[in-house]
Amino acid sequence: MGSHEALSVEPFKRLVKLAARAFYDDITTKGDKQPKTGRSDNRGIAVVVLDALTRRQWVREEDLAKDLKLHSKQLRRTLRFFEEEKLVTRDHRKETAKGAKIYSAAVAATGDGQPGGREGDEKLKMHTHSYCCLDYAQIYDVVRYRLHRMKKMLKDELESKNTVQEYICPNCSKRYTALDALRLISPHDEYFHCESCDGILVAEADKLAAQELGDGDDSARKRRQEKLKDMLQNMEEQLKPLIDQLGRVKDLTVPEFGSLQAWELQNAAGRAANGDHGNDPSKSSQGLGFGGTPMPYVGETKVEVALSGIDGKGENIKSENGNAPSKVLPPWMIRQGMELSDEQRGETKQEAKMAGSSIALESSDDKNTTDEKDDVKNIQDEYVKAYYAALLERQREQEAHDDSQQQMSNASTSNGVAMPTERQVGMKSKLADEYEGDDVEWDEEPPAGNTAKNFKVHDLNVEAEASDEEEDDIDWEEG
Amino acid sequence: MFFHMILERNMHLHPRHFGRDLRDKLITKLMKDVEGTCNGRHGFIVAITGIESVDKGLVLDGSGYATFPVKYQCVVFRPFKGEIVEAVVSMVNKMGFFAEAGPVQIFISNHLIPDDMELQLGDMPNYSTSDGSVKIQKDCEVRLKIIGTRVDATEIFCIGTIKDDFLGVISDSGQTS
Repeated sequence: MGSHEALSVEPFKRLVKLAARAFYDDITTKGDKQPKTGRSDNRGIAVVVLDALTRRQWVREEDLAKDLKLHSKQLRRTLRFFEEEKLVTRDHRKETAKGAKIYSAAVAATGDGQPGGREGDEKLKMHTHSYCCLDYAQIYDVVRYRLHRMKKMLKDELESKNTVQEYICPNCSKRYTALDALRLISPHDEYFHCESCDGILVAEADKLAAQELGDGDDSARKRRQEKLKDMLQNMEEQLKPLIDQLGRVKDLTVPEFGSLQAWELQNAAGRAANGDHGNDPSKSSQGLGFGGTPMPYVGETKVEVALSGIDGKGENIKSENGNAPSKVLPPWMIRQGMELSDEQRGETKQEAKMAGSSIALESSDDKNTTDEKDDVKNIQDEYVKAYYAALLERQREQEAHDDSQQQMSNASTSNGVAMPTERQVGMKSKLADEYEGDDVEWDEEPPAGNTAKNFKVHDLNVEAEASDEEEDDIDWEEG
Repeated sequence: MFFHMILERNMHLHPRHFGRDLRDKLITKLMKDVEGTCNGRHGFIVAITGIESVDKGLVLDGSGYATFPVKYQCVVFRPFKGEIVEAVVSMVNKMGFFAEAGPVQIFISNHLIPDDMELQLGDMPNYSTSDGSVKIQKDCEVRLKIIGTRVDATEIFCIGTIKDDFLGVISDSGQTS
């Protein structure tokens, strides 16, 4: 399904790109009154934004601004313009701040499950987050309509079709149509007079053809015809690739992403299902429209809730989760089997996230008995057991020789070594997931900071490791 | 376009008419009131052709008037957009010319007059071709196409064009020949 979707989306993406370059390449987000200097001229920004949106599905506007290195105000103005042009759909949602979200997720994960508990917490503020997504079905119609109107306008002018003449009063610039003008005829002279200021109305000249000499001049009229014909011809030529693309696209099914909620539900469930099979990141990004919304925890919480059947709560939590930055949880809050993020532990992102997700895995397993998860988990557990056994032996040897300092450093290196292997075991997808989430599409390399982080020593981490290594637990908790 | 239809109206009759000729008086009054008027919905009521029915009258409280709901058949004229009509030119001026097709007045702006016709001013302003073969002046008949109508409550205006094929002057005015 992922590859099939990809096939049908490509022509639409190309259509959007062509349309953007044809019609919107000189849109500037500056108002008319503002000075347009060489430095601040940002024409063409619309094309960049549209191109970026073709590579994403539902995306939060802040994240898009970050990726494109744009001012969020500029981006919002551009998106508002596109919304009016009916090219994108936007959704504005009130969500709590990130810290609160992760907190609620953690709370929910440990089984408190009382969303009412947040009422007392004054740190929870509801911010409105905006999401946007390209609306391909509408884009197809809008582009066709635009082309139709352009052609119609030129043709009508060319043939001087039956257009209702408009009249303007030069004094108060009030507009009248010929129908109104009928009752404005003055008895004395032959002109139409304005109602309010009694000025003589002037016929509005042809919209497209140049307003040169009066209608009485033959050559002017001929020139106008020529000009219109040329315009029509140029238009046909320059828009040919777009029209061809429209022809190619008209028989295909339009890619539908649905509303923001529906898309999140779909992706979260899909991601969780795929993640455990060690899906490679490219497929998951294609098929599930990953890139838009970095929600590393939604997958986990969604799965556990959906499978346990508490749908309402799950959606609640999911909506609260979003992308809140985690708060550092004090040590007394940390319980075993708690889903913690790195920030909550006060550590670097990658390491602890892995831990977090691994814990989530474990905690979800505690609650559910999904076969998939169990299988993978069993493999992981066995691997871990074997690995730690070997590790312990090695450490005992070293302890015999070294003092505590070396022990610490070994612990750290073992930690470091453990990291990549742990990742291999089946965590890769999770990690990749989180990287995907952070990066929002392929625009940026996943931070190669892994290696750097491996060698940092964090007290909490090392202590936990030391303590857990002694226990022969099945705990997936990073020893 | 002309239509023959049945319309209804409530007629008020003063008590002095109550008597033997009540029905005749009622019909006379109806004709006087309705013929020649314009109804926004139906158009111009040209002529009443017959009375369908006169229902029982109701005496109003307070005044002695009686109300009779009358159904009558009549010929109405309503112009439509896109309709081709023949009209008689009534006025020519710089902005175009006015023509009348029965009760309705139609305005043709100079934008919708063929490009080869120019305005000639004079005591009889007219639009004519450069060689003078076609002339549009007061009292000549033209065939025109209605491109827009404006319907008020009691009035209908139209604008038309003679720029399409088969439109334009049918016959010159009788005065110049």
